Amino acid sequence: MTHFSWLDGSIVGLYLLATMIAGVMVRKYVARVEHFLVAGREMNVYLGIASLAATEFGIVTCMYTAQNGYEKGFAGAIPGICQAIAMGFIGLTGFCIKPLRDSGAMTIPEMFEKRFGPRIRWAAGVVIVLGGLLNMGVFLRTGGEFLVLVCGFDVKYLEIAMTALLVGVAVYTILGGMLSVLVTDFLQFVVMSAGLIVVTALILANIGWGKLVSTVQIHYGAGGFNPLLNPSMGWPYVLFNLLLNTAATLTWQATIARVLAAKDSATGRKIYTRTAFFFVCRFLIPGIWGIAALAALGPAMPGDNTLHAMPRFLSTFVPVGVMGVLVAAMLAADMSTDSSYMLTWGSVMYNDVLAPFRKSAWSERQGLLVNRAIIALIGVFLLFYGLWYPLKGDLWTYLGVTGTIYLSSMTMLLIACCYWRRANNWGAAAAIVCGAVVPICYLIIEQVPKTKPVAAKIGPYYSGIATYLLVGAAMVVGSLLKPRDEQRAQPGV
Amino acid sequence: MTKHWFWLLLTMVALVWYSTVTVYVAVRGTFDIRQMLRRLRDREREKHPPGPSD
Repeated sequence: MTHFSWLDGSIVGLYLLATMIAGVMVRKYVARVEHFLVAGREMNVYLGIASLAATEFGIVTCMYTAQNGYEKGFAGAIPGICQAIAMGFIGLTGFCIKPLRDSGAMTIPEMFEKRFGPRIRWAAGVVIVLGGLLNMGVFLRTGGEFLVLVCGFDVKYLEIAMTALLVGVAVYTILGGMLSVLVTDFLQFVVMSAGLIVVTALILANIGWGKLVSTVQIHYGAGGFNPLLNPSMGWPYVLFNLLLNTAATLTWQATIARVLAAKDSATGRKIYTRTAFFFVCRFLIPGIWGIAALAALGPAMPGDNTLHAMPRFLSTFVPVGVMGVLVAAMLAADMSTDSSYMLTWGSVMYNDVLAPFRKSAWSERQGLLVNRAIIALIGVFLLFYGLWYPLKGDLWTYLGVTGTIYLSSMTMLLIACCYWRRANNWGAAAAIVCGAVVPICYLIIEQVPKTKPVAAKIGPYYSGIATYLLVGAAMVVGSLLKPRDEQRAQPGV
Repeated sequence: MTKHWFWLLLTMVALVWYSTVTVYVAVRGTFDIRQMLRRLRDREREKHPPGPSD
């Protein structure tokens, strides 16, 4: 029996009302496309930290990081440590993000056009949108599953809950764009953080650190603490996560949008440096929830969905009153992620994918209308894709593989664009093709019953590492193959 | 327990850091929002100053 009561429902209702009001109220400040997509580039450090942290933590994050904790113990928090290292390094050095912000581009593909030409800009836009939307497609269902399990609602209400949540988020995102996203992200960061801290403190007080450690020791031995000793992880897992998280920090549209919306490159770098450690919390805190679920519920039976262990545990562990804070926190986390993702993928569609089809410059009014229509269409796509896609394997790996479709190639293009003068459109095209083909092939052979054993044998980590290596090689070989004469005629050289 | 001091230390640091940052960002972020909205409004007024009848 879940502890979700009318008091908790009231807390959640109050939070939703406050968010909607704040999100809709700032729409009056949106007069231009620049306001809608990058908040007029007026975002300062602390708002940037709140927005980045809130965007990068959704219910889906909480679910897969808790699943990591449940299935891998403390070692499951390694991706968070990798991302914190990557973000700290990039923030401190300004690696790629300084030239990117200084270029004045609103999206990454816009910067590519200066070096690689309009076709590469368009192709980069398509790959970013494809990878991003496939990735985001599982957010709704996973979020809905969490809410249904924690609140004890009937599963038949999952679709209704998902739809209502998405419509609410879409309304303020369509009206206020990045300004609404930033203001609601700020509120959501505060509510989300309060919920995460309170529930973790409750777990540590009631279950105890000693019990958590002994649970991991019993079920996973030394591998639950050290990823290199864990048979399901090892060095391929660590290396893949280091590559994936560095790439995500450099080119994940929802993350890099904070650098692009920052006042200047120094502000963007500060946002990265000061948010870096949040990514340790992002994996460690829900990971502890997952370990607590393992301690309370025991290991999963064959056929059990390990994603559900943490919400099942929380539904009876968290007391009345705090349950409302938890659900509000998770709704906050999910809404901030959904709104930001819809806006940032939409911005690439508008700015880069539709760019060749604009015969003449659109007025600000037309631009805003098109942007709003794109976000509405993304919402519709998410609703249908999220309902029918059957998720196989663990969620973090699915997200990693679909993200790699564009992260590998876009990262290579960005690095080459910023630091390698010989890089050209031949290399860029080869990198985009390689970066998309390998992960898509892996996804297909994982879904087809006949080839499933092959996918299991290769594993997602080797496939992911191979993608990054191939993409790097493709960029170098493709660029070197292009004759020097043609290169001189290339735009931006 | 001391055998796994790394994870204990990391968890404690994470909770203390996160609690502190939440409070600090909650306060400073409010000023950032007000400043951002004010600057946007002022910039728009500079570009489109209100007419004499406004």
